[in-house]
Amino acid sequence: MNMLLQGPLVLRPLYLFNVMHLPLFFLSDSISRLDQKCLFNSSHSRRRGQPVERDFRQHHNQGVWREVQEERRQESIPRGVCLSMCPIRELQDREAQNLLHRFEVLSGTERERWPRADPSGVVKEYARPAAGKDSTRPSDLRPPAVLLKTVFYLVDNIAASPTLRPWTEVYDFVFDRLRSVRQDMIIQRVSGADCVAVLERTVRFLIYASYRLCGEPLRLYDPRINDTHLQESLSWLLECYTSGKHPNQEEFQALGLLYNLGSSRATQHTMELPERIRSSPVMHLALSVSRAFMERNPVRLLRLAHSLDFLQSCALHRHLETCRRDLLLIYSHGHSSKNCRFPLHKLAHILALDVPLTNQLCQAHGVEVRGDYVVFSKTSFTEPEAGKLQCAHFHDLVDRKQRDLTVGSIIHGCT
Amino acid sequence: MLLTCSQVYEAIDNHEGSFCAELLSFKHPHVANPRLQLASPEEKCQQVLEVPYDEMVAAHLRCTYAVSNHDFVEAYKCQTLVVQYPFGISGDYFGYIFSSLPIPEGFDDCRMIFQAEQQLLRKGKGKLGDMLEKAAEQLMGCFRVCASDNRAGIDDSKKWGMLFLINQLFKIYFKINKLHLCKPLIRAIDSSNLKDDYSMAQRVTYKYYVGRKAMFDSDYKPAEEYLSFSFQHCHRSSQRNKRMILIYLLPVKMLLGHMPNHQLLRKYDLMQFADVTKAVSEGNLLLLNEALAKHETFFIRCGIFLILEKLKIITYRNLFKKVYQLLKTHQLPLDAFLVALKMMQVEEVDIDEVQCILANLICEGHIKGYISHQHQKLVVSKANPFPLLSSSS
Repeated sequence: MNMLLQGPLVLRPLYLFNVMHLPLFFLSDSISRLDQKCLFNSSHSRRRGQPVERDFRQHHNQGVWREVQEERRQESIPRGVCLSMCPIRELQDREAQNLLHRFEVLSGTERERWPRADPSGVVKEYARPAAGKDSTRPSDLRPPAVLLKTVFYLVDNIAASPTLRPWTEVYDFVFDRLRSVRQDMIIQRVSGADCVAVLERTVRFLIYASYRLCGEPLRLYDPRINDTHLQESLSWLLECYTSGKHPNQEEFQALGLLYNLGSSRATQHTMELPERIRSSPVMHLALSVSRAFMERNPVRLLRLAHSLDFLQSCALHRHLETCRRDLLLIYSHGHSSKNCRFPLHKLAHILALDVPLTNQLCQAHGVEVRGDYVVFSKTSFTEPEAGKLQCAHFHDLVDRKQRDLTVGSIIHGCT
Repeated sequence: MLLTCSQVYEAIDNHEGSFCAELLSFKHPHVANPRLQLASPEEKCQQVLEVPYDEMVAAHLRCTYAVSNHDFVEAYKCQTLVVQYPFGISGDYFGYIFSSLPIPEGFDDCRMIFQAEQQLLRKGKGKLGDMLEKAAEQLMGCFRVCASDNRAGIDDSKKWGMLFLINQLFKIYFKINKLHLCKPLIRAIDSSNLKDDYSMAQRVTYKYYVGRKAMFDSDYKPAEEYLSFSFQHCHRSSQRNKRMILIYLLPVKMLLGHMPNHQLLRKYDLMQFADVTKAVSEGNLLLLNEALAKHETFFIRCGIFLILEKLKIITYRNLFKKVYQLLKTHQLPLDAFLVALKMMQVEEVDIDEVQCILANLICEGHIKGYISHQHQKLVVSKANPFPLLSSSS
């Protein structure tokens, strides 16, 4: 079996053709095969051009050729044999070239010119597939059990560590190493419970990060990159859920819906789930929040948001800004009159903010505040200037749910 | 068997495109003939016809054999071959012959693709959408050939095949839920100068899909235009198609304030909408929620459940209009609306939410007036406080 894998690729043009698809998949992770074909306009040679020789055609026509191709594809799936978090070869290379990360270095040797690697701390890093580079060497690939152990290490010893700082650096490291774990899973076509266990923790980590690092400068944390990877991992996870039984499915369907609030694609997907999943309490709440958003009822939405747990609030939090803006807009139109006197503390209560923050929010939206009262007017409402409002200042609704939850328990899901 | 082959030969020779297409299509009765259902007809075909027609006909006959054995996966593979040949031809002479063929007929058997898909799923092989994606890729290839055909004159141009191919592609994209891929196709047709000259049947199908896409994108006015066109011009005898168009036209019209009458619903067997219509026009939220729950499966399957939920706003408006008509005053206490909502068994609603719903209706232009928080009243305009829905959407 191993011989087959290590055989020269040149001898088997079909296999080469299949492997060549992999780089495309990585470079454009989020683009499906169909979109790729349309964009890159690649075509099988048999589809276009001159009619081929008769005997090849006969073979082809009888469908045998296709079956043979399928079988070959099955045999050639790489199986990893690397039992440590990082392949020996990479560890040695990076140590020799002084490319170890701060967290991978043997304590005591950090200040040296050539820091030594800590074998229990080095994790395989993400590397783009490149022409001429073989990403499928079994000695470089980690089997599913090792991948899960790696994820546990990353969560417990790095992400949840009380001493490693700053968390932006922790995030960078864990983000990259998790990406490498996913890459190993793709190459080995891992599926089932192992895949689900890794992806669930990845999704929880990325959602938590989207909240914790909200507001950090762009050079330290890019919310868009986090979002791209979160969406990919989430789609992959939801696809895994379509076969077999998975105890956490409701939790993640709800998280997906809350994170993608307002997306018709996500809502339609949820509506098509089986009844028993949709009627579970966690989904019921998520669906109510979604409905309130679609009906543009921010009062109801913010009230329901109080019942969400910490991670769900993290998933929802980026929509709160839109939600509060909608409320101010609707009220500006609905209460627009010269004699309007809407109590500020009442508005603060509805917005789930304290009074000073409410004041700040009103001013940013052109809503006039006179002492303890708000004077709504449809003509004075304006959209806030870009970047004027910092989402991170308005996190109280989410903050107070964290209480004494540890990062580890959040990511492993034992809350 | 030889007779059929020679018929094909004659048809090609005489440039009788549509007859030839019929002989290769699955709608023609010849496919039921067991003498034509052969596993390896290549030799016989080669006797009568030239390359590549012999391949095409042989593939078609193998296809009939496969279908008779209910092996749809094999049938699909054969059908793809039949379809490829007109496009594989590069020689000018062949190109001339084939451009006169209404290439479409070979693709009409899209249901075969769907059946092949079902079979694969039952066997546990392949993911949902795999087969459809492959079919879409093939069609896309054919479409590119058609669209870039600048050589022949307008009568012989392959551009006539474009709309049909687009309709087939739409069918597949809707099935696999990748609607964003429709956009380039719509652009292609919009910029084409043949767009009003295609056959009415093709245009009706095209507008149906474009209307559905517009609905999905929440562009209700254009959606109404497209779907109305489709419905009006759809042939009287295609009841099934008319019903399909109506399923999407009704929610759009209801959102714009036009309720269908019972005769229409009964005529097209769409009584699921009856309760919904009644609820919306009466402002009866309770009935609306019940009706949506009762026919939930049907609405979700058609993909209109979410749009029907948007009717809630219209229902609120109608309900509140009744409150106004009952109280006969322009200064309505907010409590009255709260009572109305509680009567409709709306869960957990309080006075703050009532204010929000009213404010939203004012913001959308469905109510003319303002809320006075201090007096806890809704003050409405003395002139036309509840403007017509069609004017305020």
